[in-house]
Amino acid sequence: MGNGKRPPPAGEMLQGTLDMLILRTLVMGPAHGHTIAQVIEHTSERALEVEQGSLYPALHRLEDRGLVSAKWGVSENNRKAKFYQLTAAGRRRLASETSRWRKMTRAIGLILGEQ
Amino acid sequence: MNVRRFLGRKAKDAELAEEIQSHLAHEEDLRAARGVNTEEARRQARVKFGGQNTVRAEEWRYRSLPWVENLWRDLKFVARSLAKTPGFTAIAILVIAVGIGVNTAVFSVINTVLLKPLIFPHQEELVYLMNTSPRGSGPGANIPKFRIWSEQRSIFSKVAGFDFGGAGLNLTGGDKPQQVQGVHVTQQYFSMLGAPVIMGRTFTQAEDAPNGGHVVVLSYALWKSRFGGNSQIVGSTIQLDGQPYLVVGVIGKTFVTDTPTDLYLPFQFDMNSQDQAHYFAVAARLKPGITIGQANAQLKLAADQFRRTYGPMAMGPQDGFGVESLLSVWVGDTRTSLWVLMGAVGFVLLIACANVANLMLVRATGRKRELATRAALGAGRGQIVRQLLTESLTIALSGGLLGLVLGVVGVRLLLPIAQGMPRIGENGSAVTPDWHVLLFTLGVSLLTGILFGLAPAISASRPNLLAALNESSSRSGVGFRSGKLRSALVISEMALALILVIGAALLIRTFMKLEAVDPGYDTRNVLTMSMSISGDRFQKTAGVAQLVKDGTDKLTALPGVTDAAAACCLPLNGAFGLPFDVVGRPKGDAPFTGGAFYDTVSWNYFNTFKIPLLRGRMFAEQDNGAAPGVVIINEAMAKQFWPKGDPLKDRLLIAPGPGPFAEPARQVIGIVGDTHTRSLGLAPEPMMYTPIAQMPDGMTALNSRIAPLMWIVRSKVEPHSLANPMTAALRVASDGLPVAHIRTMDEIVIRNTSQQRFNMLLLTIFGASALLMAAIGIYGLMAYSVQQRTQEMGIRMALGAQASHIRNMVIRQGMILALIGVVIGIAGAFGLTRFLASFLFDVKVWDPLAFIVTPLLLSAVALLAVWVPAERAVRVDPMTALRFE
Repeated sequence: MGNGKRPPPAGEMLQGTLDMLILRTLVMGPAHGHTIAQVIEHTSERALEVEQGSLYPALHRLEDRGLVSAKWGVSENNRKAKFYQLTAAGRRRLASETSRWRKMTRAIGLILGEQ
Repeated sequence: MNVRRFLGRKAKDAELAEEIQSHLAHEEDLRAARGVNTEEARRQARVKFGGQNTVRAEEWRYRSLPWVENLWRDLKFVARSLAKTPGFTAIAILVIAVGIGVNTAVFSVINTVLLKPLIFPHQEELVYLMNTSPRGSGPGANIPKFRIWSEQRSIFSKVAGFDFGGAGLNLTGGDKPQQVQGVHVTQQYFSMLGAPVIMGRTFTQAEDAPNGGHVVVLSYALWKSRFGGNSQIVGSTIQLDGQPYLVVGVIGKTFVTDTPTDLYLPFQFDMNSQDQAHYFAVAARLKPGITIGQANAQLKLAADQFRRTYGPMAMGPQDGFGVESLLSVWVGDTRTSLWVLMGAVGFVLLIACANVANLMLVRATGRKRELATRAALGAGRGQIVRQLLTESLTIALSGGLLGLVLGVVGVRLLLPIAQGMPRIGENGSAVTPDWHVLLFTLGVSLLTGILFGLAPAISASRPNLLAALNESSSRSGVGFRSGKLRSALVISEMALALILVIGAALLIRTFMKLEAVDPGYDTRNVLTMSMSISGDRFQKTAGVAQLVKDGTDKLTALPGVTDAAAACCLPLNGAFGLPFDVVGRPKGDAPFTGGAFYDTVSWNYFNTFKIPLLRGRMFAEQDNGAAPGVVIINEAMAKQFWPKGDPLKDRLLIAPGPGPFAEPARQVIGIVGDTHTRSLGLAPEPMMYTPIAQMPDGMTALNSRIAPLMWIVRSKVEPHSLANPMTAALRVASDGLPVAHIRTMDEIVIRNTSQQRFNMLLLTIFGASALLMAAIGIYGLMAYSVQQRTQEMGIRMALGAQASHIRNMVIRQGMILALIGVVIGIAGAFGLTRFLASFLFDVKVWDPLAFIVTPLLLSAVALLAVWVPAERAVRVDPMTALRFE
């Protein structure tokens, strides 16, 4: 197998967005994967409905980069679940990402003549 | 970071699986709460989640290192494909292991003997001072020469004299007296060679002057073994020959010269001495930028000055001074020998490579379809080459690992027969595998893997896809290119093997001739030992004569001893040369009648060795200092200097002229049989014997200083059983002197031929392994070719071909290759055996016997190797063959 770049898997274009949404979700406090998926789905008014599975690679990447921390615990349903929590670095990243996103959406909005 | 991610990925994957299960459970709970039944809730949860394996695969990829993955996959693939053909793999690894093992073993020895002595800082500046003459040049110095050389400050930055340990010294004062080797050196010796001083200091200028006091520098080995590495040793005194010596320093372990040395003493030359006796050597360090040519030019002037000062007796008009590189003088002897060995093992390795390359080619041909399929499925050419190279490197490295083990074991086996090689230490203790050897083995393994792997890889990587895939049943089509390549490999194996075997045959013939040489006396049941007599008691002849008489009496009284004698020298161990005049014979222009080796012996020497008396009489005990001077000559001397006359009527003046050796003329009283002074491989040289009791005092003093006294007994019993009684008897007779170097004459003879024995055995081993590998190679090729052509043979037989016809066809094909190899090999051997010239004795480099018998032997072996597959071809059952594949 070559070392060449593979085409990005579907949905990877939204990677940065998904990361930001996850971090945003965790501002409210620690949550496990299922909760995060539910929250994203509901708060985005189902506009961003994706396969829930694609959440996990994103979560683990964030964990690797030290933006969230994780530990196993017991969920509200009394089931075993892995809980994710925002770290200080995660908070800083969320702030910068949010402002970058705002700038971008405003720019796009200007281009589209929405204001 | 990446690596940590990579290493933890198994655990992470398991965790992810668990996490997914937890997620699904929560989703089901959610749906169940809405009233969906369990079965449906489960289904919906799964759909909602998406592909579980996709998620896990993505995670897995994220946590992977591509090159490790690729390598690992290749290795796993290689392991699988090699495991499928265990026979091939085992043979390939074994062949490589033998090739590399032999290389590693020989390299270990070469590393010690050739490479390690090159340890002096800026050694290219070090030179040996030589006396040149039209007959050749040689080292050797006296004080006047040393002085004039030391004055050449325009070319030399340092000049130092040293001797070779000579008589040895008796170290007393401990539980047991011990004979040690003390080398005399001048003050600049250590700084010239850059010797590391680990404790104290070396000699000062004042200590190296006459009356400079008794001082000594210890070697590391003696400091450790005799003084237990005592850190307070500097400043204490030790007893040498009964005299106290102040220890001023200890030299480091890494300092190794050719002369085994226990301790160093200052020469304390009187630089005004006119003494012309040569008894030490001189080396110098050239000033930076001075070439050997410039030094030689300057030394020509110095030689003229020397001749003007000391006259033509001290240096003839044709003679002069010169320098040679110190290392070439020290290492020179063994260099050719070891490079020949290295060349031989290189050949063995090449044959091994050719063999394995052949095996790989065969394999690659057999896997043509597999490789073509892989290529058709999209494997790039690089990938296929990489896979095949990984395969060959895996084999090479496994073989290298095994070879390293074989090599380390092999060195141990090699060393007992390497006795007598310089610098390998007692029982080869100095030969140890070090990182040079490891690096060498690794390098050779990699090179081997690439060498034998590349050709098959390249030829396999350009398969004609269509042809290979279509080649469903037409197995007869063995690729033309690889077929030719394989034939070439087999031919070169045969040629290389032939060259090696011819070399081995020449050395075997040499050794047989050497073994057949008559030493001139009976070597059996003779025990010899040396005694250092450098003390004050033995500076005059009378003292030595008394010691010889007392010792001989005590030894003869021992049970089992039939005869005992003493001498300055033993046969085969060298002797001093001295000029002589025949009294009354005109000399013409020559300064002397001639020159001969000179041996001082006790009266019973010839009886003890059983050297036959040809004419006249032997020495008697009465031929002492009070009796008229007598001399016995050997047959070679009689023939050379009295081709017609009768030596017994003449008198000899030995070392004529003024000097410490001056003595009246001696009557020739006998002629004895020849012995070999230096080597069995050299014709006996002229030799004159005089009684120890009749030596001039000056000669005795020099003798005692530079050589130990040798004791010899002939026994009725096993000679080694006399070692302890002899040691004790001589201790009593000499008032407490120890002996050393206890050896039988047989051992001395074996030592004398050790180099030849070593060369012969090694080259025989190489030749035999080369022959075996070449045979395997040709067998493998023919066996494969027969297997590939099974169908063709079957058709031929079905059509009525005779079995003998088929057999002959196979044999002819194999033998054509073998014979081409043999012819090339003979040509190669003609060109290469001249490098063996210096190892041969009484055998020509184009020895007809070796050049006729060896090709016959090789052809016979090749015939045997192709006979087996030929027989198999004959036994092909046509029906089976036609259904083959």
